[in-house]
Amino acid sequence: MIANDPLLQGYALMCRMRAFEEACLKGVPTREIHGELHTGIGQEAIAAGMARHLRQNDAVVSTHRNHLHALAKGVDPRALLAEIFERETGLCRGRGGHMHPFDPCTNFSATGIVGASLPIALGYAYAAAMEGTDDLAIGVTGDGGANHGTFHEVMNMACAWSLPLILLVENNGYGISVRSDAVTAPVPHWRRAAAYGAYGIAADGTDLAAMDAAFADAADHVRSGKGPVILEATCHRFRGHYEGDADTYRPRADRKRMRDEGDPIALIGASLEQGGTRRDVLDALRSDADAEMAALLEQIRLDAQPESSGAHDYVFLERTNA
Amino acid sequence: MSAAPQNAAKGAPTVSLLIAETIGREMERDDRVLVMGEDVGGMGGVFHCTRGLQDRFGEWRVRDTPIAEMGFVGMGVGLAMRGYRPVVEIMFADFLAVCLNQIVNEAAKIPYMSGGRIPMPLVIRTAGGSIGSAAQHSQCLWGMMAHWPGLRVVAPSCPADYRGLMAAAIRSDDPVILFEHKSQLNRRSDLFQRSDVGPEGDYLVPIGKASVARKGSDITVVSISAAVEWALEAATEVAKEGISTEVIDLRSLVPLDMETVLISLRKTARLLVIDEDFLSFGMSGEVVARAVEGIGTSGLRAVRRLAMPDVPLPAAKTLEDALIPSSNAIATALRDIAKGA
Repeated sequence: MIANDPLLQGYALMCRMRAFEEACLKGVPTREIHGELHTGIGQEAIAAGMARHLRQNDAVVSTHRNHLHALAKGVDPRALLAEIFERETGLCRGRGGHMHPFDPCTNFSATGIVGASLPIALGYAYAAAMEGTDDLAIGVTGDGGANHGTFHEVMNMACAWSLPLILLVENNGYGISVRSDAVTAPVPHWRRAAAYGAYGIAADGTDLAAMDAAFADAADHVRSGKGPVILEATCHRFRGHYEGDADTYRPRADRKRMRDEGDPIALIGASLEQGGTRRDVLDALRSDADAEMAALLEQIRLDAQPESSGAHDYVFLERTNA
Repeated sequence: MSAAPQNAAKGAPTVSLLIAETIGREMERDDRVLVMGEDVGGMGGVFHCTRGLQDRFGEWRVRDTPIAEMGFVGMGVGLAMRGYRPVVEIMFADFLAVCLNQIVNEAAKIPYMSGGRIPMPLVIRTAGGSIGSAAQHSQCLWGMMAHWPGLRVVAPSCPADYRGLMAAAIRSDDPVILFEHKSQLNRRSDLFQRSDVGPEGDYLVPIGKASVARKGSDITVVSISAAVEWALEAATEVAKEGISTEVIDLRSLVPLDMETVLISLRKTARLLVIDEDFLSFGMSGEVVARAVEGIGTSGLRAVRRLAMPDVPLPAAKTLEDALIPSSNAIATALRDIAKGA
């Protein structure tokens, strides 16, 4: 049944994403993740809506809040979790950590520098156009990164050369503590597309069906050679900017309301139930996801941390040709 | 093209022509090699180093970019991650400051952050050095680039090395910042102290091996880029006064070939480091520190640095001349060391 229903598949993926992030949270108090951690809890519908419209050859370049995009792109969750938990078995052998996962097999990468993802995604889009394929690239940014100079530079070049680039703006309303509307020209990000002659799409990032449709539209546009898209998805970040952020800049009532009324998993669950999906089917998918990630967590906790003797490895990949 | 025809008429190629030929050869050899930057296409580069390439390889492989260094350097990073070998021109070394993040936080770190899974075969060519362009168009800045782990930092100083190091940089799987010197680019090869242009055909100079540009026994001069030529002129001058100078061309700061320097110092015990980059926290201090670590203070009878003072480069020639480590200034420093001053 799930195989035939993209929204139910999306629901299952969102449950896995949530369970993945909750598994990550368990590594903070134990100091297994000894640095910062940014989770995407509350923003699952965006990445899940993207997943179905991506192919292996497409590239996604994400941000500091990247786990959900990685899962959407098909990155192995075990390797990703092991990386986040600083293990030698991790996707990047424990050298990258949670902000810097790189997976050449799925053409997925991320950067911890806000705004820096977009030019790199432009490179992938340039390659696709040069090769004449219908591959696409997605550069992810938040509303904060959308105010970085790279946004303009990249949109300008992508439009000048009509490149297959989707610039995904996940607008959760805050750049750490600063409200987006306090530091941003009063025009929605998607409407900036008009200034470049690009295609702009606005979508409700808490609504899986809306995100699925938006990505279908965006992917169709760029794959058919019509040039770049700015896709803005409004959403809520349920937790602080990072684990440990006291989150005092958002009123308590607002935080409660977004959890009560804006949880994308609850919203699509209710919609599926209304459409005839049995509650116990939904609940089973949720508990399967929890069980999968709990098992992965148990496994990777047995994995070794990198040997200290390896701290100098991989600075250069080529021994000097002297 | 706009390449100085009066030079071509005299036979010997300019360095910029050698560079363009080398890049073109690499592009023929490997269709993953791309060129991008401001004015590199139709114009062939403001210093003519990419002349004719767009005509030969088309605008997808030789791309004139907008003035958007953050954007197009990052595009190069993405292309390198996709398996291409982009050669990105940053017109003046000073402009590295505009796009530093993509170089030092992305290109330099991605191979390491990926646990060795993602190579970064990116070359950034840039032009440094003083030619009267004042504070924002004269800097060398190789010391700054060498400070960040993960970047190969290369600066040729003679025609053959411009060819051989450029080819090696393009074939490297590591990111390479290659500094050309503006005063050398449109100079005829036969006007260099070392005028050899290297053998016909493929020519590679391994990155990370210094060369002894002049043999001597009294004082070791260590330098890089055009200052090596100035040091050679100074060495010729003071040789008339009986001072024998060994001149070492580092060729690259990363890797830094201290072995060649130490071999020379064990003979001379006197070190003079010449750097057109700024004095403080840079190459000259690093070479001195490693020399001391390598042979100990007791093995050194004289240590001296002659580098660009920590001053923004002035416009007026009189002021510029007062700061640059010219051949005259180098000769004076050599005489002082020889006198034991």
